[in-house]
Amino acid sequence: MIRTLILAGFMFCYFHSLAQYPGYALVNNPESFKVSFGRATASTVSIQSDFSQEKTLTMLSEKISSSGKFWFQKKDKMRMEYIRPYPYLMILNAGKIFIKDGQKENKISAGSNKVFQQVNRILLDCVDGNMLNNPDFQSRIFENGGSYLIELKPQAKNLKELYKNINIVLDKKDYSAASIGIYENSGDQTMIHFQNKSINAPIPDSVFNIP
Amino acid sequence: MQRIPTDPLCIRKFKPVFEHAVYKTSVDVVGKYLSGLLIIKRMPDSSSRIVFTNELGFTFFDFGFGADTGFHVYQIAPAMNKKAVIITLRKDFELIMFRNMDSVKQDALTDSGLVYYAFPQSKGVNYYITDPNCGRLVKMQRASDKKPVMEAFFIGNSAGESPDSISIQHLNFNFSIGLKKISAIATP
Repeated sequence: MIRTLILAGFMFCYFHSLAQYPGYALVNNPESFKVSFGRATASTVSIQSDFSQEKTLTMLSEKISSSGKFWFQKKDKMRMEYIRPYPYLMILNAGKIFIKDGQKENKISAGSNKVFQQVNRILLDCVDGNMLNNPDFQSRIFENGGSYLIELKPQAKNLKELYKNINIVLDKKDYSAASIGIYENSGDQTMIHFQNKSINAPIPDSVFNIP
Repeated sequence: MQRIPTDPLCIRKFKPVFEHAVYKTSVDVVGKYLSGLLIIKRMPDSSSRIVFTNELGFTFFDFGFGADTGFHVYQIAPAMNKKAVIITLRKDFELIMFRNMDSVKQDALTDSGLVYYAFPQSKGVNYYITDPNCGRLVKMQRASDKKPVMEAFFIGNSAGESPDSISIQHLNFNFSIGLKKISAIATP
């Protein structure tokens, strides 16, 4: 009877993990993954890519699409430049955030606001591979033939109010981020896909300058 | 202001119809700036949903307005989840959506060459202000019992469709919303 229950428990966990992300299964050895991942991200100094983003508003059956260009430089510089449907620029650089929306510019110190600090760190951690060390999240790692899926569940109360989880899909060939999925408690979600990636190409400092 | 004998319901011809409109939106509030997309959509049950989400996909608020009456907060960012904020936004949207016009005390008054069509609310009055012949909607106004508190403007035809631009300016404190319609970016 007990063996049956234990077996049923294991079977439940196995099938639950399959059902969670169709086509993915929990990695057998997460520590081995973390070592390989750590090695790959340690050698990544910069990333440039195109990106496309789709926000799904579930209740409205609405999808909002946008696209642009993305730059990252270790350890704390990021530029996300939306081109379509309209220009919108965000630069993170050494704890400062610059946003330009058309003509309007806004400079924020991430240190001035706890939520900004956390979001700043999430964005950088997702890209530079440090998300597994972020204490604000609990992680699980899944895999399929070509990719890993890292599921991050927020632990901090203020982040839990905003997000259900953040998922990052990594290419198995180089451990670079292929996509980031942000899932809100409402059921809405935002998917960002990175294409035409260039790893470790030199990026001028001026790309990250905040006016 | 002088009362004039005219039918306040003549302004109904200026009522916008928000079947499915997406606006690039900027909000200035007490020195802080938010931007993103504001979607107004009529649902199958004739209610309307208004969702404001930023460029990175973060939802500031998601409001529902019943077919004729009623209001529901589906979602709101914690920083905005304050009664005064919700009430202000609700009243602002109700004004530009031409809601709450069924009071028996509706009235028409003239001042400085303009006609003020007054629709009393539970608190204060909503005004729709036109030229003398009710031929052009000049502006909309929310007023307390004592003075105007907010003005709103449409740019582009509003009659039977969604205006190209909407401007909302609060008069008592630093709060303004600018909406500019963009098309063909959402794929249902």
